[in-house]
Amino acid sequence: MTKTLLELTVNGEDRSLAIEPYRSLLDVLREEAGLTGTKKGCDVGDCGACTVIVDGQPVNACLMLAVEAQGASVQTVEGLQPGPDELHPLQDAFMEHGASQCGFCTPGILIMAKHLLDQNPLPTDEEIRFGLSGNICRCTGYTKIFDAIRTAGRRMAAAKSQSVEA
Amino acid sequence: MTKQDFRIVGKSVKRQDVIEKVTGEGRYTGDYHLPGLLHGKIKRAEIAHARIKHIDVSKALAYPGVKAVLTHHDVPKVLHYGSPHPRSASCTKDQYILEDKVRFWGEGVAAVAAVSEEIADEALDLIEVEYEPLPAVLDIDAAQQPGAPLIHDVGPGGNLVIPPVHIERGDVEAGFAEADLILEGVFEGGRPVPTYMEPNVCVADWDGSGKLTFWTSTQTSFMVRGALAEVLDLPQNKVRVLVDHMGGGFGAKQDLFQHEFLCALLARQCRRPVKMEFTRKETFIAGRSRHPFRMWLKQGFRKDGTLTARDMKIVYESGAYGSHSPGVTNVGTASATSLYRCPNVRLDGRAVYTNTPIAGAYRGYGVVQTYFAIDIQIDEAAERLGIDPAQMRLLNAVREGDIAPSGHPIVGRGLEACISRGIEAFDWPGKRAAGRGDPANPAIRKGWGIGCEMHGSSAYPGIREQGNATVKMNEDGSVTLLTGAAGLGTGAHTALAQIVAEELGVTFESVSVVHGDTDVVPWDIGAFASHTTYLVGSAAKMAAADLRQRVLARAAERLQESPEHLAMVDGVITVQGKPGQTLTVAEAMGPSRGIPAEHLIANGTYMPTKSYSFAAHFVEVAVDTETGIIECRKVVPVHDVGRVIHPIAAQGQIEGGIQQGIGHTLTEDYIIDRSTGRSLNAGLVDYKMPLSMDMPDIDTIILEAAPDPGGPWGAKGVGEDPIIAIGPAIANAVHDAIGVRFHHYPITPEDVLNGLRQKQENA
Amino acid sequence: MRRFEYHEPATLEEASRLMGTLGQGAFLLAGGTDLFVEIRERLRSVAHLVNIKRVPGLDRVEWSDRDGLRFGALVTAGQLEASADVAARYPNLHAAMRALASIQVRNRATVIGNICRASPSADSIPPLVADGASIETFRPEGGRSIPLAEFFTGPGRSVLEPGEIAVAITVPPPAPGSRRAYLKHGRRKAMELATVGVAVSLDTADGICTGARIALGAVGPVVLRAPQAEAILTGSRLDAATIEAAARQAMQECTPISNVRSSADYRREMVGVLTRRAVTQAMEQAA
Ligand code: FES
Ligand code: FES
Repeated sequence: MTKTLLELTVNGEDRSLAIEPYRSLLDVLREEAGLTGTKKGCDVGDCGACTVIVDGQPVNACLMLAVEAQGASVQTVEGLQPGPDELHPLQDAFMEHGASQCGFCTPGILIMAKHLLDQNPLPTDEEIRFGLSGNICRCTGYTKIFDAIRTAGRRMAAAKSQSVEA
Repeated sequence: MTKQDFRIVGKSVKRQDVIEKVTGEGRYTGDYHLPGLLHGKIKRAEIAHARIKHIDVSKALAYPGVKAVLTHHDVPKVLHYGSPHPRSASCTKDQYILEDKVRFWGEGVAAVAAVSEEIADEALDLIEVEYEPLPAVLDIDAAQQPGAPLIHDVGPGGNLVIPPVHIERGDVEAGFAEADLILEGVFEGGRPVPTYMEPNVCVADWDGSGKLTFWTSTQTSFMVRGALAEVLDLPQNKVRVLVDHMGGGFGAKQDLFQHEFLCALLARQCRRPVKMEFTRKETFIAGRSRHPFRMWLKQGFRKDGTLTARDMKIVYESGAYGSHSPGVTNVGTASATSLYRCPNVRLDGRAVYTNTPIAGAYRGYGVVQTYFAIDIQIDEAAERLGIDPAQMRLLNAVREGDIAPSGHPIVGRGLEACISRGIEAFDWPGKRAAGRGDPANPAIRKGWGIGCEMHGSSAYPGIREQGNATVKMNEDGSVTLLTGAAGLGTGAHTALAQIVAEELGVTFESVSVVHGDTDVVPWDIGAFASHTTYLVGSAAKMAAADLRQRVLARAAERLQESPEHLAMVDGVITVQGKPGQTLTVAEAMGPSRGIPAEHLIANGTYMPTKSYSFAAHFVEVAVDTETGIIECRKVVPVHDVGRVIHPIAAQGQIEGGIQQGIGHTLTEDYIIDRSTGRSLNAGLVDYKMPLSMDMPDIDTIILEAAPDPGGPWGAKGVGEDPIIAIGPAIANAVHDAIGVRFHHYPITPEDVLNGLRQKQENA
Repeated sequence: MRRFEYHEPATLEEASRLMGTLGQGAFLLAGGTDLFVEIRERLRSVAHLVNIKRVPGLDRVEWSDRDGLRFGALVTAGQLEASADVAARYPNLHAAMRALASIQVRNRATVIGNICRASPSADSIPPLVADGASIETFRPEGGRSIPLAEFFTGPGRSVLEPGEIAVAITVPPPAPGSRRAYLKHGRRKAMELATVGVAVSLDTADGICTGARIALGAVGPVVLRAPQAEAILTGSRLDAATIEAAARQAMQECTPISNVRSSADYRREMVGVLTRRAVTQAMEQAA
C-alpha cells in the first residue's frame, strides 16, 4: 500500500512522516513520531488516554486518521513543559496533589485539563467534572485530580493577573 | 519514636516516579519499539467448551507479512499454574499454553506474528478451526450438578478447583441455641473486573546466546521469570524480566497469561522481537475478574446485639481455570471468622470451574464478597433489634487479642477507633435523625449507611512471604535502593525510599530506587496482598539500619571517634558533645589521603507474619424512586493504617478503592451470556465504571490507631482495604433510604424499582 | 485496525462516483468516530474510505428567522453544542449534543454521521425528529429533501440509495411559544449510550398546548414518535394530570427490546418517567 507524506506541526516542531493512510494519529504519534507519552487505553474513543489537541481542539487521537491531520498543529503531553527544566503549573500540581498514580491516564487528563484551563482558568467543580467526563482514571477516584486542576488554575490565573499588572 | 521525631516518614514528599508520568517520559511496556519488531495477535475461540478437531493455518502462514503461526501442535506441553506463586497454597496446575481443548469463549487457540499489527489481525481470519462442541457449564449450579460435564480432569473431582475449605471454631449449634434472633440469607455478587487503564502488553526478545529478555506489565516479575523458565525449560538466569512503569494492575496482573508464553515462543521462532498488546476487548475477555459468588449466611444474635453464632457456605465461580481460586477461597472463607467477633463459627468455602472467563486476583481477594454479606446482615440485625447500626458494630468489632483469620491475635483496637471517629466526623446521629426526603425533588429519597472491613497486609499464612531489599551507599554519599517490588502506581517505591532515608539518616532526595529488572534487583514475591510497605518496607528498613552502622563505622575511623558517639541526620554526621565536629556522608564515603573511596552494600531480608488494617466507611446515597438510579453522594472513609508513610499516597489509594467499590456495587458487572458463554459488554461504555461526574465527595480520614510491630514503625497495608467496606455501606444506605434490602451487587436501577414494587405489595 | 484504501474527493460528484465504482466495501468518512470503532471491532469490513472533508461548504451552521437552522455534513456535535443559536432556540438539540459521548468525541463526530448510522439510540435523532427536521441529499441525478421521521427504515438502515450522500440538515424555526427538552437515561452521568432518550417539542399559545411532538429513542427499531400521547397534550393546559396521561400513553406507543443495557419493561417504564419529566422541564425552562 502506498504511503502518504504527512506534514504537520507537533508541539511546535514541523514534522514530515511517510505513513500508511489507514493508521490512526495515535499510532503515528507513538510509533512514527516517537512520542509515546500519549497512551492507548482502548483505541475506540472510550477512555481519553489518547487525548491530544489538534488545531486547538481536544480530540481522541485513536479516532482520527493521521492523514486527517495533514497541515494541522498537534499538541501532546510532551509539549506541555514551557522549558526544558520547567514544568507546566498543571504538571507541578499533579505531582503535589498525588493526582497521578499509575499515570496511564495522566497525559490525556493533563491535555484535557490544559484545554479546560486555557478556556476558563477558574472553573467550578461542576465544570471540571464535566470537562473530564471523557477521561477515565481508574486509580485515583478523581478527587486528587480535581484538587490539582483547581490549584493549577488558581496559580495560572494569579500569574496572569500579575503579568498584566506588571 | 514519636511522630514528631520523623523527618521524612509521614510526609507527602514528591513521588520520584511521578515526574516522568506528568512529562510523558515514563516508559510503559507498550512504549518499547525495538528494531525489527513483529506484532503478535491471538486467535480466540468463539465457543465456550469444545475440542479442537482440526486447525488449519496454511492460509494464514501464506499471507504476505506473516512470519509465524503457533497452534497447540507447536508449543511445549507443560502443565502449569495460572497463578504462579511457586511455594504457595494458592496454585493449581491446570493450564497448558495451548491445548486441543477450549474451556471458555475467547480462549486463545492460535497465535500469529506478522510485520504489522494490521497484517497479524487480518491473518487471524485465515485460520480455520473445526470444533467438536462439548456441553458447556455456564453457572455454579450447573457446575455442581451430579453428573455435570467435567471441565478439567485434574483437581479433586466434580468441577471443584480445590477440596472444600472447612473452618470450625466453637460450637455453632450451641451458639444458635443461645440466640434471640437468627437471620438467614442468600447473598450474591456479579463479575467486576479491575479494568486497569493499561491493557496487558509484553515484548519478547531473544539474544544470540539463547537468553530471553521480556518486558511485561506485571505485578510479579519474578513469578513471570519462574514460570517462563519452567514452561520453556530454561534456567532462570536465561530469562530477564523487565517492567518499569505499569498502568495499574489491582491484583489481576499477577497471573501468568497465555499471551506471555506465546509472545516468547513467537519471538524465538521468528528470531525477532515480538510485541503482544491486548485490545481493550481482550483485556476483558482474557483478563481476570473478581470471583462471582453465592453465599448462604446464617447468624445468631442476643437481644443486646451480641453475635452468638455464624454458619456460612460460600461458592466462588472460578471460570475456566483455577488461577487464584485456591487463595481466594481460603482467604475469603477464613475472613468470615472475624470482623465482628463471634465465638462459634462454621464455614464452608468452595470454588468451582465453569466455562466462563477466568476469575483471578483482584483487590479485596475474596474478602469483598464475605464482608459484603456479613455487614449487610449485621445491619439487618441492628434494625430488627432496634439498635443503632454504628453502635451494633462497635459492640461486635474485633479487638486486641481476638483471634484473626490468620490464627494470630489481633493487635490494638483499630476497628473500634475507625467506627468511633466516623460517627463523629460524619455526624452519624445527626444524619440519621434527618428526614429522608429531598425538598428539591420529591422523587429522591436520601439514606445513610455504614460498612466495615479488615484486611491483612501480607498473604500469610497462605504464603510464607519473603521481602528483600538491597541498599547501596555510593562514594559520593548518594544512596541506591534495589527492590524487586513492582511499581503499580501506588507510590510504593517512594514509600520505600522514605523508609530508607529515614532509617539511614539521609535526605529523601539522596535516595534513588532501582526496580523492575530481575537480573539486577533482589528477588521479590510480587506486589500484592497490600504488603509492599509492610513487607519490603521492613526489609528496606533492616538493610538501611545495617548500612547506617557501616557508614558510621567508617566515619568513626575518619573522625577518630567511637561509632556509638556518632549520629547521622539528613546526611550529616555529628559527634555527641562536640558540636563543631561534623562530616557529611559524602566526606565520610569519599577518598581521602591513604583511604580509598568505598562502596557499602547492605541487604535486608524479612519474613513477616501478618498484620490487619481496618476501616469503616460512612456514606450518603440518594435514590431516585422513579428511575431507580442510586447516586452515592458522600463518603467518609476512616482507615487505620498503623503508621502512615506518605499521607497523600495513602489517601489516593483509599479514594481510588472507593471509586472501584462504588462501581462494583452499583454499575459494574461483566456479563456473560448464560446460554452461550459469550461476553456481552466487553468495552468501556457498557462496562460502567464511575467517571468524573459520578464520583461523590470523599473526606478521607487516616488513623494511626493500632500500629503493628511487624511493619516499619508500625505501618500496615492500605491497598485493598478501601474496596471492601464501601459496598455494604452503600447497600445499607440504600435500605435506609427506601426500606428495601438488597443482598447482591450490583444493585441496578431495575432492582430498585422491583424492590420498591415488592415492598408496596407486601405492605 | 485493518488496512483500507483512502480517498479524498474534492467534490460531491466525485465522492458519489467513487462510492458507486468502489462498490460494497466503500464507506463514506466524515467524523469517523463510529466508523473507526466498527473497523477495529471487525463489525464492518472496509476496503475503501471516501473522506468528504475536502468538499467545500459542508462545515457551516447557519441560522435565519425565515428558514431556521441548517447545518452541513461536516458539522461536528461540538460545533452545534457551541452554537448560541442552537442553545437558545433548540434547547433539546443542545442538550442532546452535550449528552453525546465525550467532549473529545464531539469534536470529531459529525451530527449527520450520527444520524446516518441510524442507531435507534443516537442522541441527535430524537430532538431533530421532534423538531421536524429534514435531511438534504446529493445524488448525481439531483438531490432530495427527506423528512427525518421518514429517513430510517430500521436499525442501521435508511432510505439513502447507493451513491446518495446526506449533505445537510434543516430544522424549521421554532414558533413563538415553543418549548423543548431532551432527556437521556443512562446509568452514568456521561459516556453513555442512551437506554432511553426522550425529546419533546411543544407549541404553546396563551398557556394552551397547540401542538406537541414527542420522539422516543432506543425503544424501537428506529426513533419513534408517540402520536397518541402528543394528541393528549395538544389542546390541553399541560397540567400535571394531562402530562401524566400523555406519559402513560407514550409507554404504550414504544416497542422496546431487552439487551445488556436494560430490559424491555424497564425501558418502557422509563419512557413514562422521561416523557413526564421532559414535558415538565420544557415548560419550566420557558417560565
Ligand atoms: S485510546 Fe483513544 S480514547 Fe481510549
Ligand atoms: S492514575 Fe492510573 S488510571 Fe489514572
